[in-house]
Amino acid sequence: MKRRDFLKASLVASAAVVGTSVSAGVTGQPIDSRKVSKIAFPEKKPLITYSDRPPLLETPREVFTRGITPNDEFFVRWHMPEIPTFIDVETYRIKINGLVENELSISIAELKRDYEQVEVTSVLQCGGNSRSAYSPVAGGVQWGSGAMGCAKWKGVRLKDILNRAGVKKDAHWIGFNGSETAAYYETPNFVREMHMDELDDYVILAYEMNGEDLPYLNGFPVRLVIPGHYSDSWVKMLSNITVTKEYQKLFFMDVAYRVPDNSCECETPEEKYKTTKPITMMNVKSVIGYPTNNTVVAHNSHVVVRGVAFDDGHGIRDVLISTDGGKNWKQALLKDADRYAFREFRFAYKPTTYGKVTIMAKAINRLGAEQPFAQDVKWNHGGYKYNGIDSVTIEVI
Amino acid sequence: MKKIILLSILALTTLFAQVDEKVEIPYMPYEIKMGKGFDAIEANCLMCHSFGYIINQGPQSRQFWHEKVVKMIHHFKAPISKEDEITTTNYLFEHYGNGKEK
Repeated sequence: MKRRDFLKASLVASAAVVGTSVSAGVTGQPIDSRKVSKIAFPEKKPLITYSDRPPLLETPREVFTRGITPNDEFFVRWHMPEIPTFIDVETYRIKINGLVENELSISIAELKRDYEQVEVTSVLQCGGNSRSAYSPVAGGVQWGSGAMGCAKWKGVRLKDILNRAGVKKDAHWIGFNGSETAAYYETPNFVREMHMDELDDYVILAYEMNGEDLPYLNGFPVRLVIPGHYSDSWVKMLSNITVTKEYQKLFFMDVAYRVPDNSCECETPEEKYKTTKPITMMNVKSVIGYPTNNTVVAHNSHVVVRGVAFDDGHGIRDVLISTDGGKNWKQALLKDADRYAFREFRFAYKPTTYGKVTIMAKAINRLGAEQPFAQDVKWNHGGYKYNGIDSVTIEVI
Repeated sequence: MKKIILLSILALTTLFAQVDEKVEIPYMPYEIKMGKGFDAIEANCLMCHSFGYIINQGPQSRQFWHEKVVKMIHHFKAPISKEDEITTTNYLFEHYGNGKEK
């Protein structure tokens, strides 16, 4: 069902039940009808484009048949209008300061030469991915399902860098600053903070993505990689790391990227929940890459449903497929994958009926957490963390 | 009838990012509706973001648009005058509104 139809249907339904105007938030499938732009951005294929300043690019659904998202199809999300248009790799430095014994100023060459080089394959997903599923509209970019991707990141452990700098005893917080800047001096910088306890061997400063330099729009020359966490923490064009004792009050930590601080992480448009918490870790989710909506297939032919599933690093245990609108479910075949990576699934399906068929995918992780139906995902004002069961409708002729 | 204009139509050249050169972020032409208050939109909104941000929200209530303008002032420190706060909200609701106050 198209989102507009869904909204119409649910408006009618709620009016019938309540007898007044629409009240509670409702959720459907994210918008899936947008086409890629004719205009390609640097190092990118033409992608679904929401804005040029700052650049906001979404990956089309069909890319999610593969466990690795190609660099030129990887989504892009910046927050500020000014991003440097030139970076001199020779003079670029990452500064480490604050509560450390030795302040460091690390060049890209030193990063590649003086530290142990490590790799991690991990999903990068915007906390607002699929936001267009929420109604009434949650303010923010109305993403479909493609504000996500998975890449093999190469770089250096943040821990190794901090060890070299020598973190002082009473240091608790690590702040990260990127190179994008606002139009006004007073606008808060895009700074993120992480508690020392969250630091593990998987947190790296990455300069390489899928065997190539980071694409410019994905944070060249170096970005933070925090597997399992939503991408608002993965600071791009990382320029400064500051270690502090106290938590610094920051817009992008304290106001944006937050959900209601209750167990359902939900609220209603009329009655917003009073306290909020950061979105932090990703929930279990899957997206069907093939077939896409409106694909036409022949009766009794062979269809292979393909897609990707992931969570915050516990790992995907099962992906179940339904071809009857969610009544019956069968197991898809899973390909092995690293814990933070996309897990590819495939499912052989032979359509034995004619007309419209809705295919759904539901992922379950190793903790037993599973995706809810789209309409059971509860509303939140920021439109974050949507993880409804994905659904595509094809036509069998 | 509302007039629609195409803004920022630029001839686009090669867009391969060569990191040893300046990268060129292309300009997108957005179909933004013209009307009363558009000057204030152009002056206050474009400093920080493209019209894509407005169009992408879809038709919204007056309250939604007002909250957006206030967010830009309060959190992002955009120097929008009290007068322009009203003008921009009116423009947004008139051209990108859903007819509902709330």
